[in-house]
Amino acid sequence: MERVEKRWLLVLVAVAVAFNVITLSPLVPWQRWMVWSSPEPVQEFRISVSNYTFTFPPGGIRAPVGQPVRFVATSDDVTYGFGVFRKDGGMLFQMQVIPGYENSIVWIFDATGSYDVRSTEYSGPLAPTMFVPDAIQVV
Amino acid sequence: MKPYRISPERLTLRYVILGMGALAVAGIEGLLMRTQLMNVPLITDEHWYAILTAHPLVGIYGWAYLCVMGAFLYLVPKLLNKPLFSPRLATVTLWTVVVGLALAWSSGFFLHFASLYTVYWPLPVARFPPVTVTMFAVGLALVEIGVLLFVVNIGATVLRRPKERKAAAAKPTGALLLSAFGIDVAVVYVANRLARWRRRPEAAADGGVATTVKSAQLPVFVVSVMRGSVDAVINAVVLAGAGVLMLVFALPSLLAGITMDPLSVDPLVYKNVFWWGLDMVADGDVLIWVAGSLYLLAPLLVGGKLFGEGIVRWVILADLIVSMGVWSHHLMSDLPQPLFMRLVSGQFITWGEFFTMGLSFFAALMTVWLARPVKMTMPLKFMLGGIFGFMLGGFSGLLQANSGLNVIMHNTQWVPGFHVHEMILVGLGNILFAVTYALLPMLTGTGLKSDRLSNAHFWLWTIGGVGMAWSMGLSWAVGALRRMLYPSTDLYVPYQASAMVFGIILAAGFAAFIVNLVRTYGLKTLVGLFGPEPARKT
Repeated sequence: MERVEKRWLLVLVAVAVAFNVITLSPLVPWQRWMVWSSPEPVQEFRISVSNYTFTFPPGGIRAPVGQPVRFVATSDDVTYGFGVFRKDGGMLFQMQVIPGYENSIVWIFDATGSYDVRSTEYSGPLAPTMFVPDAIQVV
Repeated sequence: MKPYRISPERLTLRYVILGMGALAVAGIEGLLMRTQLMNVPLITDEHWYAILTAHPLVGIYGWAYLCVMGAFLYLVPKLLNKPLFSPRLATVTLWTVVVGLALAWSSGFFLHFASLYTVYWPLPVARFPPVTVTMFAVGLALVEIGVLLFVVNIGATVLRRPKERKAAAAKPTGALLLSAFGIDVAVVYVANRLARWRRRPEAAADGGVATTVKSAQLPVFVVSVMRGSVDAVINAVVLAGAGVLMLVFALPSLLAGITMDPLSVDPLVYKNVFWWGLDMVADGDVLIWVAGSLYLLAPLLVGGKLFGEGIVRWVILADLIVSMGVWSHHLMSDLPQPLFMRLVSGQFITWGEFFTMGLSFFAALMTVWLARPVKMTMPLKFMLGGIFGFMLGGFSGLLQANSGLNVIMHNTQWVPGFHVHEMILVGLGNILFAVTYALLPMLTGTGLKSDRLSNAHFWLWTIGGVGMAWSMGLSWAVGALRRMLYPSTDLYVPYQASAMVFGIILAAGFAAFIVNLVRTYGLKTLVGLFGPEPARKT
């Protein structure tokens, strides 16, 4: 291996290590509870999805700000997505909803307000109808 | 059997022309889909999703695979100074892929089959009538059979010993196999180390295992082709298997009205196997066959020697391991998938591509740099444009294949924009055009007539490709999902309108190439390539 190749390889190693360390660290806020700790959720919300329709818990979803809550989504037909969106359209987080499995994600909301839910996975031509505005209230 | 006669040049040109035809179809589909995304509905939503299903199949297996197959069927025998194992099989391959694609495409266009290229289980059989599933599955299986036939033809060409050569001059089959799949570097390394350890370095230098293996060493381009063939076979078997699974559920329903529970097949296990196979194209062949093309093109275009060939051979071997292990980056948001898998296979092994491609690009760029001053020919421009596209698209891919960032990127327009279209149009597309521009003089005896049109092709294609990809990708910031229509909001229309403008620029670049092609060779000549082989002059 020539010297110039060794130097280039070192650059590649440095970039790879730096990028992975930074993105696995708590600098990415949700890595704190997704990788480095398993905080006990203060509330759990169970959502079922079937035939292009979300079914939320009776009384809707009211989550406390700044505290971990768990969303558990199940499907009995095809794969869907469970995506939570801010009112400006930006996506806060999402997960896939695989049929036959309990798909769960823990999240800590950092701001109060109203959030929309949309299926983030294509589940057939009616997938765009799977939008529930103001599905989550964070208080 | 009647002897089959076709010149290697004619055979390759047929592949390239049909490949370019597939690109035109995929491009028209793309622009049509973009119109719908601008909330100007020209087609029904069902039709839009059907096009979305066919579009990547036509683009990858129609355009990219046909062009790659055509080029490799010509270049591998030429580099090895051997005839192609079977020109007849190559023709059968071409039409098997074309017929398969036509069937899969028709299942969407006429019958609105729309489970996307991902065919996530059990979507195809749960949502679509069995007749459409059957048509799509048979089409997909035919395409993959075509890919397998291609691999058989290339493999047999590389490994076959011509009868006329004396046995003594023939390379040992074992050593040839080791070289063909890129394993020889590891064998030579271990043999040399062992010899040193036994304090018998002369054993390595003089007739030992290392010498035997080295004597059969194939050109790095051929090794890349053969290495990629491993991925192509796995891809073909898995995707054809998915087609068979669809048939297992669709045919009893179609023929006897028997409905089986689709969830008897575990969707997560299916998704793992499916992405393992599908990724052999996206993270296997796209990378290793492109790398191989660079190893051939760079020295050829500048009249030099490939820089760092020793390292390149290790890269080819390393890529074998990387491509086998990266599939979980498609399951980063499937939380029942173990975290270990998402981190190791999804994130860390994916970074292996950063090294393999980083070193491959470095080898190609250093080859050009060390050969200065070089003439900036059209193939060289396209090659550099391709490396640029892969750098942009590759890095954005690493961002989304990250356990942290995937949470806010998965299934958004980031993926098809910054990653997929940048990789395929700007990266792969430019490399394919580089090979095409380099091959045309070899195949026809003359290059394209108009440099002005060739330059217009390069710049319009590259600017259009990057612009379109960025317009799509930026809409991620305001939550635009991929595979999604938004008929009730205009929030994303400006991004899609911008993508449409750049898409038209891209299409204009391709049109410049087609006009140049027709002006140079004539439409009659190009169409005539599909007629019978003219009699040879005696």
